[in-house]
Amino acid sequence: MVTVTIKVNGETRTASVAPETTLLRLLRENFSLTGTKLGCDVGDCGACTVIVDGKPVNSCLMLAGQVDGRDVLTIEGLATIDRLHPIQKAFEDHASLQCGFCGPGIILSAKALIDENPAPTTQEIRDALGGNLCRCTGYTKMIEAIRVAARTLRDEVADQPA
Amino acid sequence: MRAFELVSARDSRHAVALLAEHAPSAKILAGGTDLLVDLKSSPRGPEVIIDISRAEDLKIIARKDEGLSIGALVTHSEIMRSPLIREMFPALVDAAHTIGAVQTRNLGTLGGNLVTGVPSMDSGPTLLALDALVTVVGPAGRRQMPLAEFFVGPRKTILKPDELLMEIVIPKQNLGKPAYFLKFGLRKGQALALVNVAASLWVDWDKHVFVTPRIALGAVAPTVIRAPKAEAYLEGRAITLEAMAEAGRIAVGEAKPISDFRASAGYRLDLIAVLTKRALEGAYALAKAKREAK
Repeated sequence: MVTVTIKVNGETRTASVAPETTLLRLLRENFSLTGTKLGCDVGDCGACTVIVDGKPVNSCLMLAGQVDGRDVLTIEGLATIDRLHPIQKAFEDHASLQCGFCGPGIILSAKALIDENPAPTTQEIRDALGGNLCRCTGYTKMIEAIRVAARTLRDEVADQPA
Repeated sequence: MRAFELVSARDSRHAVALLAEHAPSAKILAGGTDLLVDLKSSPRGPEVIIDISRAEDLKIIARKDEGLSIGALVTHSEIMRSPLIREMFPALVDAAHTIGAVQTRNLGTLGGNLVTGVPSMDSGPTLLALDALVTVVGPAGRRQMPLAEFFVGPRKTILKPDELLMEIVIPKQNLGKPAYFLKFGLRKGQALALVNVAASLWVDWDKHVFVTPRIALGAVAPTVIRAPKAEAYLEGRAITLEAMAEAGRIAVGEAKPISDFRASAGYRLDLIAVLTKRALEGAYALAKAKREAK
Protein backbone atom coordinates (compact mmCIF):
# COMPACT_ATOMS: atom_id res chain seq x y z
CA MET A 1 0.00 0.00 0.00
CA VAL A 2 1.08 3.59 -0.56
CA THR A 3 -0.02 6.56 1.52
CA VAL A 4 -1.06 9.55 -0.53
CA THR A 5 -1.70 13.03 0.81
CA ILE A 6 -2.99 15.57 -1.67
CA LYS A 7 -4.62 18.95 -1.54
CA VAL A 8 -7.86 18.50 -3.41
CA ASN A 9 -10.09 21.53 -4.01
CA GLY A 10 -8.21 23.33 -1.26
CA GLU A 11 -8.62 20.60 1.34
CA THR A 12 -5.78 18.29 2.43
CA ARG A 13 -6.81 14.64 2.27
CA THR A 14 -4.98 11.37 2.86
CA ALA A 15 -5.64 7.81 1.78
CA SER A 16 -3.81 4.51 1.80
CA VAL A 17 -4.24 2.73 -1.53
CA ALA A 18 -2.78 -0.13 -3.58
CA PRO A 19 0.17 1.06 -5.74
CA GLU A 20 -1.70 0.40 -8.99
CA THR A 21 -4.50 2.82 -8.04
CA THR A 22 -4.90 5.66 -10.53
CA LEU A 23 -5.55 9.24 -9.47
CA LEU A 24 -8.99 8.82 -11.04
CA ARG A 25 -9.88 5.91 -8.77
CA LEU A 26 -8.41 7.66 -5.75
CA LEU A 27 -10.70 10.64 -6.36
CA ARG A 28 -13.82 8.62 -7.07
CA GLU A 29 -13.49 5.66 -4.71
CA ASN A 30 -11.49 7.02 -1.78
CA PHE A 31 -12.57 10.65 -1.74
CA SER A 32 -16.10 10.14 -3.19
CA LEU A 33 -15.46 12.88 -5.74
CA THR A 34 -17.48 11.25 -8.50
CA GLY A 35 -17.74 14.34 -10.68
CA THR A 36 -14.57 13.16 -12.37
CA LYS A 37 -15.73 10.50 -14.84
CA LEU A 38 -14.26 7.17 -15.89
CA GLY A 39 -14.61 6.97 -19.67
CA CYS A 40 -12.09 5.18 -21.86
CA ASP A 41 -9.46 4.73 -19.11
CA VAL A 42 -6.64 5.08 -21.69
CA GLY A 43 -6.27 8.84 -22.14
CA ASP A 44 -8.38 9.34 -25.25
CA CYS A 45 -11.72 10.73 -24.09
CA GLY A 46 -10.81 13.36 -21.49
CA ALA A 47 -13.81 12.60 -19.22
CA CYS A 48 -11.35 12.12 -16.34
CA THR A 49 -9.60 15.49 -16.83
CA VAL A 50 -8.53 17.20 -13.60
CA ILE A 51 -6.09 20.05 -12.99
CA VAL A 52 -2.86 19.05 -11.21
CA ASP A 53 -0.57 21.92 -10.16
CA GLY A 54 -2.33 24.17 -12.65
CA LYS A 55 -2.18 21.82 -15.63
CA PRO A 56 -5.00 19.73 -17.09
CA VAL A 57 -4.14 16.01 -17.19
CA ASN A 58 -5.90 12.68 -17.66
CA SER A 59 -6.37 11.37 -14.13
CA CYS A 60 -6.64 7.83 -15.57
CA LEU A 61 -3.00 8.08 -16.68
CA MET A 62 -1.49 9.03 -13.32
CA LEU A 63 -0.90 6.77 -10.38
CA ALA A 64 -2.18 8.10 -7.08
CA GLY A 65 1.35 7.77 -5.71
CA GLN A 66 2.66 10.22 -8.32
CA VAL A 67 0.34 12.93 -7.06
CA ASP A 68 1.40 12.73 -3.39
CA GLY A 69 2.00 16.27 -2.12
CA ARG A 70 0.46 17.96 -5.13
CA ASP A 71 -2.50 20.24 -5.69
CA VAL A 72 -5.55 18.83 -7.50
CA LEU A 73 -8.64 20.67 -8.71
CA THR A 74 -11.73 18.68 -9.69
CA ILE A 75 -15.13 19.84 -10.93
CA GLU A 76 -16.38 19.84 -7.32
CA GLY A 77 -13.93 22.66 -6.58
CA LEU A 78 -15.48 25.22 -8.94
CA ALA A 79 -18.97 26.15 -7.74
CA THR A 80 -19.90 27.38 -4.29
CA ILE A 81 -23.25 26.72 -2.62
CA ASP A 82 -24.70 29.98 -3.97
CA ARG A 83 -22.79 30.61 -7.17
CA LEU A 84 -21.83 28.60 -10.23
CA HIS A 85 -18.37 29.24 -11.64
CA PRO A 86 -18.67 31.64 -14.65
CA ILE A 87 -17.71 28.78 -17.02
CA GLN A 88 -20.45 26.58 -15.57
CA LYS A 89 -22.93 29.47 -15.79
CA ALA A 90 -22.04 30.08 -19.44
CA PHE A 91 -22.47 26.36 -20.20
CA GLU A 92 -25.91 26.49 -18.58
CA ASP A 93 -26.92 29.69 -20.40
CA HIS A 94 -25.85 28.29 -23.78
CA ALA A 95 -27.24 24.78 -23.21
CA SER A 96 -23.75 23.55 -24.02
CA LEU A 97 -24.24 20.03 -22.65
CA GLN A 98 -26.77 17.32 -23.34
CA CYS A 99 -26.03 14.12 -21.45
CA GLY A 100 -23.30 15.94 -19.51
CA PHE A 101 -20.88 13.03 -19.05
CA CYS A 102 -18.03 14.90 -20.75
CA GLY A 103 -18.91 18.16 -18.97
CA PRO A 104 -16.59 18.04 -15.94
CA GLY A 105 -13.59 17.31 -18.17
CA ILE A 106 -14.54 19.92 -20.76
CA ILE A 107 -15.13 22.60 -18.12
CA LEU A 108 -11.78 21.90 -16.44
CA SER A 109 -9.99 21.99 -19.82
CA ALA A 110 -11.68 25.36 -20.42
CA LYS A 111 -10.66 26.61 -16.96
CA ALA A 112 -7.02 25.67 -17.51
CA LEU A 113 -7.09 27.39 -20.91
CA ILE A 114 -8.59 30.65 -19.60
CA ASP A 115 -6.23 30.69 -16.59
CA GLU A 116 -3.30 30.68 -18.98
CA ASN A 117 -4.83 32.62 -21.86
CA PRO A 118 -7.60 35.03 -20.73
CA ALA A 119 -8.70 35.87 -24.30
CA PRO A 120 -8.52 32.65 -26.31
CA THR A 121 -9.44 32.60 -30.00
CA THR A 122 -11.88 30.02 -31.34
CA GLN A 123 -8.93 28.06 -32.75
CA GLU A 124 -7.19 28.10 -29.36
CA ILE A 125 -10.39 26.86 -27.69
CA ARG A 126 -10.69 24.05 -30.24
CA ASP A 127 -7.07 23.09 -29.58
CA ALA A 128 -7.67 23.11 -25.81
CA LEU A 129 -10.68 20.78 -26.24
CA GLY A 130 -8.80 18.40 -28.58
CA GLY A 131 -8.47 15.86 -25.77
CA ASN A 132 -12.14 15.92 -24.72
CA LEU A 133 -14.68 13.87 -26.61
CA CYS A 134 -18.37 14.80 -26.65
CA ARG A 135 -20.72 12.57 -28.60
CA CYS A 136 -23.86 14.69 -28.07
CA THR A 137 -23.34 18.30 -28.93
CA GLY A 138 -20.89 18.90 -31.76
CA TYR A 139 -18.94 21.32 -29.53
CA THR A 140 -20.26 24.55 -31.08
CA LYS A 141 -22.23 25.70 -28.04
CA MET A 142 -19.34 24.82 -25.75
CA ILE A 143 -16.99 27.00 -27.75
CA GLU A 144 -19.49 29.87 -27.62
CA ALA A 145 -19.86 29.42 -23.87
CA ILE A 146 -16.11 29.40 -23.31
CA ARG A 147 -15.71 32.65 -25.25
CA VAL A 148 -18.43 34.27 -23.13
CA ALA A 149 -17.00 32.87 -19.89
CA ALA A 150 -13.55 34.19 -20.77
CA ARG A 151 -15.05 37.66 -21.26
CA THR A 152 -16.96 37.44 -17.96
CA LEU A 153 -13.79 36.43 -16.12
CA ARG A 154 -11.82 39.28 -17.73
CA ASP A 155 -14.52 41.76 -16.66
CA GLU A 156 -14.45 40.38 -13.11
CA VAL A 157 -10.70 40.94 -12.95
CA ALA A 158 -11.12 44.46 -14.37
CA ASP A 159 -13.86 45.29 -11.83
CA GLN A 160 -11.80 44.31 -8.82
CA PRO A 161 -10.70 47.32 -6.76
CA ALA A 162 -6.99 48.03 -7.12
CA MET B 1 -4.55 -2.97 -13.35
CA ARG B 2 -2.17 -5.73 -12.26
CA ALA B 3 -0.54 -5.35 -8.88
CA PHE B 4 3.03 -4.08 -8.67
CA GLU B 5 5.36 -2.43 -6.22
CA LEU B 6 5.81 1.34 -6.72
CA VAL B 7 9.10 3.02 -5.86
CA SER B 8 9.92 6.68 -6.46
CA ALA B 9 13.32 7.92 -7.65
CA ARG B 10 14.62 11.24 -6.27
CA ASP B 11 16.90 11.85 -9.26
CA SER B 12 18.59 10.01 -12.12
CA ARG B 13 21.32 8.51 -9.87
CA HIS B 14 18.69 7.11 -7.56
CA ALA B 15 16.77 5.77 -10.55
CA VAL B 16 19.86 3.92 -11.81
CA ALA B 17 20.41 2.45 -8.33
CA LEU B 18 16.78 1.30 -8.20
CA LEU B 19 17.09 -0.20 -11.69
CA ALA B 20 20.21 -2.10 -10.64
CA GLU B 21 18.31 -3.44 -7.66
CA HIS B 22 15.10 -4.42 -9.47
CA ALA B 23 15.96 -5.05 -13.16
CA PRO B 24 14.92 -6.98 -15.20
CA SER B 25 11.51 -7.16 -13.50
CA ALA B 26 11.22 -3.35 -13.25
CA LYS B 27 9.88 -0.70 -15.60
CA ILE B 28 10.48 3.04 -15.61
CA LEU B 29 7.41 5.30 -15.25
CA ALA B 30 7.93 8.77 -16.74
CA GLY B 31 4.82 10.47 -18.15
CA GLY B 32 2.76 7.29 -18.02
CA THR B 33 0.77 7.97 -21.19
CA ASP B 34 2.04 4.76 -22.79
CA LEU B 35 3.04 2.68 -19.76
CA LEU B 36 -0.22 2.95 -17.82
CA VAL B 37 -2.21 1.98 -20.90
CA ASP B 38 0.05 -1.07 -21.34
CA LEU B 39 -0.20 -2.02 -17.66
CA LYS B 40 -3.99 -1.91 -17.84
CA SER B 41 -4.23 -4.10 -20.92
CA SER B 42 -1.44 -6.66 -20.64
CA PRO B 43 -1.97 -9.79 -18.56
CA ARG B 44 1.69 -9.92 -17.54
CA GLY B 45 3.83 -7.02 -16.48
CA PRO B 46 6.70 -5.74 -14.38
CA GLU B 47 6.82 -6.47 -10.66
CA VAL B 48 8.26 -3.07 -9.81
CA ILE B 49 7.46 0.34 -11.24
CA ILE B 50 10.16 2.95 -10.75
CA ASP B 51 8.51 6.36 -10.83
CA ILE B 52 11.00 8.95 -12.10
CA SER B 53 8.44 11.74 -12.55
CA ARG B 54 9.98 13.68 -9.65
CA ALA B 55 13.59 13.49 -10.89
CA GLU B 56 14.16 17.21 -11.41
CA ASP B 57 17.63 16.71 -12.94
CA LEU B 58 15.98 15.10 -15.97
CA LYS B 59 13.69 18.08 -16.64
CA ILE B 60 16.26 20.63 -17.77
CA ILE B 61 16.53 22.32 -21.17
CA ALA B 62 19.93 24.01 -21.43
CA ARG B 63 22.71 25.17 -23.72
CA LYS B 64 25.87 23.15 -23.07
CA ASP B 65 29.29 23.07 -24.73
CA GLU B 66 28.23 20.11 -26.85
CA GLY B 67 24.91 21.62 -27.94
CA LEU B 68 21.33 21.91 -26.73
CA SER B 69 20.48 19.38 -24.03
CA ILE B 70 16.84 18.40 -23.49
CA GLY B 71 16.25 16.26 -20.40
CA ALA B 72 14.41 13.00 -21.02
CA LEU B 73 11.58 14.06 -18.68
CA VAL B 74 10.80 17.33 -20.46
CA THR B 75 7.12 17.13 -21.43
CA HIS B 76 5.74 17.93 -24.87
CA SER B 77 4.01 21.00 -23.36
CA GLU B 78 7.32 22.20 -21.92
CA ILE B 79 8.94 21.86 -25.35
CA MET B 80 6.15 24.02 -26.79
CA ARG B 81 6.74 26.69 -24.12
CA SER B 82 10.55 26.71 -24.07
CA PRO B 83 11.90 30.06 -25.36
CA LEU B 84 15.19 28.36 -26.33
CA ILE B 85 13.50 25.66 -28.40
CA ARG B 86 10.97 28.08 -29.92
CA GLU B 87 13.81 30.25 -31.14
CA MET B 88 16.20 27.56 -32.34
CA PHE B 89 13.91 24.73 -33.47
CA PRO B 90 10.30 25.71 -34.21
CA ALA B 91 10.00 22.29 -35.91
CA LEU B 92 10.30 20.61 -32.48
CA VAL B 93 7.49 22.85 -31.20
CA ASP B 94 5.32 21.93 -34.19
CA ALA B 95 6.04 18.23 -33.68
CA ALA B 96 5.21 18.40 -29.96
CA HIS B 97 1.95 20.22 -30.77
CA THR B 98 0.77 17.34 -32.98
CA ILE B 99 1.11 14.77 -30.18
CA GLY B 100 -2.10 13.57 -28.49
CA ALA B 101 -3.94 16.47 -26.85
CA VAL B 102 -3.31 19.04 -24.11
CA GLN B 103 -3.76 16.56 -21.25
CA THR B 104 -1.41 13.94 -22.70
CA ARG B 105 1.12 16.61 -23.73
CA ASN B 106 1.20 17.80 -20.11
CA LEU B 107 2.10 14.28 -18.97
CA GLY B 108 3.98 12.68 -21.86
CA THR B 109 7.73 13.22 -22.08
CA LEU B 110 10.21 13.50 -24.93
CA GLY B 111 12.27 10.62 -23.52
CA GLY B 112 9.20 8.47 -23.09
CA ASN B 113 8.17 9.03 -26.69
CA LEU B 114 11.62 7.85 -27.85
CA VAL B 115 11.89 4.91 -25.41
CA THR B 116 8.43 3.57 -26.26
CA GLY B 117 9.77 3.47 -29.79
CA VAL B 118 6.63 3.25 -31.90
CA PRO B 119 7.49 3.93 -35.57
CA SER B 120 4.87 6.71 -35.81
CA MET B 121 6.33 8.74 -32.92
CA ASP B 122 6.20 12.46 -33.64
CA SER B 123 9.35 13.37 -31.67
CA GLY B 124 11.67 11.20 -33.74
CA PRO B 125 11.87 12.67 -37.25
CA THR B 126 12.92 16.23 -36.34
CA LEU B 127 15.55 14.98 -33.89
CA LEU B 128 16.92 12.54 -36.49
CA ALA B 129 17.02 15.32 -39.08
CA LEU B 130 19.09 17.38 -36.60
CA ASP B 131 21.59 14.52 -35.98
CA ALA B 132 20.53 14.34 -32.31
CA LEU B 133 22.49 12.26 -29.82
CA VAL B 134 21.12 10.46 -26.79
CA THR B 135 22.84 9.98 -23.45
CA VAL B 136 22.10 6.73 -21.65
CA VAL B 137 23.17 5.89 -18.11
CA GLY B 138 23.49 2.50 -16.44
CA PRO B 139 25.56 0.68 -13.82
CA ALA B 140 28.68 1.03 -16.03
CA GLY B 141 28.24 4.79 -16.36
CA ARG B 142 27.20 6.95 -19.25
CA ARG B 143 27.31 6.30 -22.97
CA GLN B 144 26.26 8.50 -25.83
CA MET B 145 25.18 7.52 -29.33
CA PRO B 146 23.38 8.94 -32.35
CA LEU B 147 19.61 8.71 -31.96
CA ALA B 148 19.55 6.70 -35.21
CA GLU B 149 21.39 3.88 -33.41
CA PHE B 150 19.04 4.03 -30.41
CA PHE B 151 16.11 2.61 -32.37
CA VAL B 152 16.21 -1.13 -33.09
CA GLY B 153 12.68 -2.00 -34.22
CA PRO B 154 9.02 -1.36 -33.42
CA ARG B 155 8.90 -0.69 -29.66
CA LYS B 156 12.53 -1.80 -29.38
CA THR B 157 15.53 0.34 -28.47
CA ILE B 158 19.09 -0.50 -27.48
CA LEU B 159 18.33 0.37 -23.83
CA LYS B 160 19.24 -2.53 -21.55
CA PRO B 161 16.83 -3.38 -18.72
CA ASP B 162 19.07 -1.57 -16.20
CA GLU B 163 19.66 1.54 -18.32
CA LEU B 164 17.94 4.91 -18.33
CA LEU B 165 17.66 7.50 -21.10
CA MET B 166 18.91 10.78 -19.59
CA GLU B 167 18.95 13.44 -22.25
CA ILE B 168 18.72 14.25 -25.92
CA VAL B 169 21.45 16.49 -27.32
CA ILE B 170 21.25 18.47 -30.53
CA PRO B 171 24.90 18.97 -31.47
CA LYS B 172 26.24 22.51 -31.46
CA GLN B 173 27.00 22.61 -35.19
CA ASN B 174 23.24 22.22 -35.76
CA LEU B 175 22.00 24.87 -33.33
CA GLY B 176 19.56 27.02 -35.26
CA LYS B 177 19.72 24.77 -38.35
CA PRO B 178 16.53 25.43 -40.32
CA ALA B 179 14.25 22.43 -39.90
CA TYR B 180 10.62 21.72 -40.69
CA PHE B 181 8.20 19.02 -39.49
CA LEU B 182 4.99 17.81 -41.11
CA LYS B 183 2.55 15.17 -39.94
CA PHE B 184 -0.31 13.68 -41.85
CA GLY B 185 -2.91 12.20 -39.52
CA LEU B 186 -6.62 11.58 -39.96
CA ARG B 187 -7.50 14.31 -37.45
CA LYS B 188 -5.66 17.25 -35.87
CA GLY B 189 -5.95 15.91 -32.33
CA GLN B 190 -5.57 12.45 -30.79
CA ALA B 191 -4.38 10.87 -34.05
CA LEU B 192 -1.27 8.88 -34.90
CA ALA B 193 0.69 9.84 -37.99
CA LEU B 194 0.03 7.99 -41.23
CA VAL B 195 3.34 9.53 -42.26
CA ASN B 196 5.45 12.21 -40.61
CA VAL B 197 8.47 13.86 -42.15
CA ALA B 198 11.16 16.27 -41.03
CA ALA B 199 13.75 18.02 -43.14
CA SER B 200 16.69 20.20 -42.17
CA LEU B 201 19.18 22.03 -44.33
CA TRP B 202 21.81 24.74 -44.48
CA VAL B 203 22.09 26.91 -47.55
CA ASP B 204 25.24 28.12 -49.28
CA TRP B 205 23.77 31.46 -50.33
CA ASP B 206 26.64 32.35 -52.71
CA LYS B 207 26.06 29.23 -54.79
CA HIS B 208 22.42 28.80 -53.71
CA VAL B 209 22.87 25.07 -53.09
CA PHE B 210 21.80 22.60 -50.37
CA VAL B 211 24.37 21.95 -47.63
CA THR B 212 24.00 18.91 -45.30
CA PRO B 213 20.32 18.33 -46.12
CA ARG B 214 18.66 15.78 -43.85
CA ILE B 215 15.36 13.98 -44.38
CA ALA B 216 13.73 11.75 -41.74
CA LEU B 217 10.55 9.73 -42.10
CA GLY B 218 8.20 8.24 -39.51
CA ALA B 219 5.49 5.55 -39.65
CA VAL B 220 6.89 4.07 -42.87
CA ALA B 221 9.46 1.53 -41.58
CA PRO B 222 10.09 -0.54 -38.41
CA THR B 223 11.72 2.57 -36.88
CA VAL B 224 11.93 6.25 -37.70
CA ILE B 225 14.45 6.38 -40.57
CA ARG B 226 16.62 8.78 -42.54
CA ALA B 227 16.42 8.90 -46.34
CA PRO B 228 20.15 8.91 -47.19
CA LYS B 229 19.78 8.55 -50.97
CA ALA B 230 17.46 11.53 -51.16
CA GLU B 231 19.89 13.49 -48.94
CA ALA B 232 22.85 12.55 -51.18
CA TYR B 233 20.89 13.64 -54.25
CA LEU B 234 20.37 17.10 -52.75
CA GLU B 235 23.84 17.66 -51.30
CA GLY B 236 25.52 20.49 -53.21
CA ARG B 237 22.66 20.68 -55.70
CA ALA B 238 21.05 23.97 -56.80
CA ILE B 239 17.96 24.72 -54.73
CA THR B 240 14.86 24.39 -56.90
CA LEU B 241 11.33 23.11 -56.34
CA GLU B 242 12.05 20.39 -58.92
CA ALA B 243 15.06 19.17 -56.90
CA MET B 244 12.87 19.03 -53.76
CA ALA B 245 10.21 17.06 -55.62
CA GLU B 246 12.82 14.64 -56.96
CA ALA B 247 14.18 14.14 -53.42
CA GLY B 248 10.63 13.24 -52.40
CA ARG B 249 10.40 10.64 -55.15
CA ILE B 250 13.77 9.17 -54.15
CA ALA B 251 12.70 9.03 -50.48
CA VAL B 252 9.71 6.88 -51.48
CA GLY B 253 12.16 4.13 -52.49
CA GLU B 254 13.85 4.21 -49.09
CA ALA B 255 10.73 3.43 -47.05
CA LYS B 256 8.99 0.13 -46.34
CA PRO B 257 5.55 1.07 -45.08
CA ILE B 258 2.92 -1.44 -44.08
CA SER B 259 -0.79 -1.46 -44.79
CA ASP B 260 -2.96 -1.30 -41.69
CA PHE B 261 -6.40 -0.07 -40.67
CA ARG B 262 -5.20 3.54 -40.82
CA ALA B 263 -3.82 3.56 -44.38
CA SER B 264 -2.52 1.36 -47.17
CA ALA B 265 1.19 1.12 -47.94
CA GLY B 266 0.55 2.68 -51.35
CA TYR B 267 -1.14 5.70 -49.81
CA ARG B 268 1.74 6.13 -47.38
CA LEU B 269 4.24 6.02 -50.26
CA ASP B 270 2.34 8.80 -52.04
CA LEU B 271 2.35 10.82 -48.81
CA ILE B 272 6.13 10.46 -48.46
CA ALA B 273 6.74 12.09 -51.84
CA VAL B 274 4.41 15.00 -51.12
CA LEU B 275 5.38 15.59 -47.48
CA THR B 276 9.13 15.33 -48.14
CA LYS B 277 8.89 18.00 -50.83
CA ARG B 278 6.79 20.24 -48.56
CA ALA B 279 9.10 19.74 -45.57
CA LEU B 280 12.09 20.75 -47.72
CA GLU B 281 10.17 23.81 -48.92
CA GLY B 282 9.33 24.68 -45.31
CA ALA B 283 12.93 24.33 -44.14
CA TYR B 284 14.15 26.44 -47.05
CA ALA B 285 11.55 29.15 -46.34
CA LEU B 286 12.72 29.22 -42.73
CA ALA B 287 16.37 29.49 -43.85
CA LYS B 288 15.43 32.42 -46.05
CA ALA B 289 13.45 34.14 -43.29
CA LYS B 290 16.37 33.75 -40.88
CA ARG B 291 18.75 35.23 -43.41
CA GLU B 292 16.48 38.20 -44.07
CA ALA B 293 16.03 38.82 -40.34
CA LYS B 294 19.78 39.28 -39.90
